[in-house]
Formats: sequence, structure tokens, C-alpha cells
Amino acid sequence: MKILRIAILQAIAIAAVSVVVGFAFNAFSRNGINPLKMPVKVPVAAEGSQAGEEGIRIIDLEEARRIVEGGASVIDARRKDEYDEGHIPGAMLFDYYDMGTYRDRVLAVLSNESEIMVYCSEVTCEDSELLAKELYLLGFTKLLVFKGGFSEWSGAGLPVERGDL
Amino acid sequence: MKMTWSQGAHPTAGTRDGVHWIFNPYLLLAFRLLLAAIFMYAAVQKIGKPLAFADEIHNYGVVDYGAPLSIMAIVLPWVELLCGLALVTGVGVRGAALILIGLNAMFLAVIAKKTIGYMGDGTPFMRVYFDCGCGFGATYAWKKLLEDAIYLLVALALLAAPRHRFVVSIRRRSS
Repeated sequence: MKILRIAILQAIAIAAVSVVVGFAFNAFSRNGINPLKMPVKVPVAAEGSQAGEEGIRIIDLEEARRIVEGGASVIDARRKDEYDEGHIPGAMLFDYYDMGTYRDRVLAVLSNESEIMVYCSEVTCEDSELLAKELYLLGFTKLLVFKGGFSEWSGAGLPVERGDL
Repeated sequence: MKMTWSQGAHPTAGTRDGVHWIFNPYLLLAFRLLLAAIFMYAAVQKIGKPLAFADEIHNYGVVDYGAPLSIMAIVLPWVELLCGLALVTGVGVRGAALILIGLNAMFLAVIAKKTIGYMGDGTPFMRVYFDCGCGFGATYAWKKLLEDAIYLLVALALLAAPRHRFVVSIRRRSS
């Protein structure tokens, strides 16, 4: 019983220090999050829906190709090593899990007046949609998510760029 | 087979007779270093990436997006890191062991839940394969469940071990 009492006291101390250090680190981390930020419902339109609506719209390969050829802003939500191996021509790297590193550089060139296409690895990855939601919350409202991602793009034999942009 | 320490050979000899082999101080030290290495490595993979970790926790379908999830994503990696430090330094070993028992029990429950979900979709148990978000990448669910069960047992041994060498005990000095 005494052992358990000591263990509980020590566990409380470890947990308390973790809370303090964790929040302090988060406050100064470039990827820190606001723990009190409530999730916002972002309108997501399914593939095949009409363009022009505000929010996030899921697009297919054909539309993604038109968007890229039209010179719209394209964002790659994957990791840097994946991006360097190959990405859609003109795409900017904006790793969803390391947004702090790329935020300033990418946001400086984005416009909330024009369409922004986001993609990640493949149809099962969610990072493109999650990044699009973050961009929506930052004020960019014309967002397109290419769900097929880089694997569908490269698999279709469309042009690919390699290396850092 | 139950082995016992002979009188005088075990550091706690004189305080108790017959200590189970699992409480050999060198074995306990090895247990501590093993758990510390695993949890400190896992913590370092998650610290500084709270958004990614929050998504991984959310994928288990237990906690929805919001303040509790964000707080877990911020604090949990530090809990793992500090437990690892406690195990390495020998300060607060029982507290760290108690926390790791709780964490591993939680991991076992959520991984089992997710595994059952995959099995419901027709995947055989031995072929269920996913990234548990533990910081070690994707692996077979059975392997992860087995690992976590072993960590749980090791943490239980550390919690229940009698006072032994290599542990710093802080006592009040009586004047």
C-alpha cells in the first residue's frame, strides 16, 4: 500500500512537470497549436460538384490537370523527401506536419482571390484535406483537393518535377 | 521455476526472505533501460509535431477534435519522455512505472479496438497492418499488441519490485 502511495505521488509529479514543460514548449514551438481552438466546420464539396462555391471542393485528375495547366497555385502537403523525389510541376512544398517551416514562404505567394489546389500522396491520405482546412481557416476560400494525389498524377504519365523548387 | 536469492547476495537481503528472480536488480535495471529507450524514442518522434500526433490519436475514433485532443497531443509525448528520464536516472521509478502501466493499458485497448474494426472489414487478425501512431511506423497489429503487453508486464514488475540497487530513494532526514 505504501508502495502504491509513493508511486501515485511520483506519477502526479511526473504528469505535472509534463504539463508545464509540454505547454511551455508548445508556446515557443514553430509547429505549436492552440489547444483551445475549437474545430470549425469547413464546407467540403464532393467530387463532381460545381465550381464557384466557397470552401473545399474535391476534384479528379482531369480537373487537376486543367488547374495545373491554367497556372493556379498548387500545394504539395507531403514530406520534403517525398516532394524532392517528384512533385506536380510548379507545386510548392507545404508539409502539413511541419507547417511552421513553410508557412511564411507559402502564404506570401498565395492569393485568396484565386484557386489553390492541394494534394498529398494518394487517394487514402488525408493530409491534403486537412491542410486545405487549415488554409480555409487562414482566409483562403477557393480550395481544391486533388484526392488522387501524386500517385494518380504520376501514374497517368503526366509531367513530374524533381528536386527543390 | 521459482528462484530465490541467497541470504546476503540480494541487496534487500535481511529485509525479506526469498525474492523472485524477476526482481534481480540487474534485470530490473535492464527493464528500466529498455522501457526508457522505447518511450524516449517514441516521445522524440512526436514532440514538436502536435498536429500530426493529434490526427493519429483522432484516427482511433476515441477522442474527437477539440481541446482534450489538443492537450493530449501536447502533453502525452512529454509524459513519455519524462517517464523515460525517470527510469534512466532512477528517480521516481515507481511513478514512471505506474504511468507506463496506464499508458500501455490504454494503447492495448485502442489498438485492439482498431484491430477489431479491421477484422470486421474481413481482414484476418494476423494480417491487420497499420500505423498505430506510436512513433515507430506501420506494423502488424498482433506484433504491436504483443509488444505493448510485454511493456505492461515489465512496468508492473518495476512497480512491484522491492527496494533495490540503482534506484534513488529520497527520504526525509529525521533530526
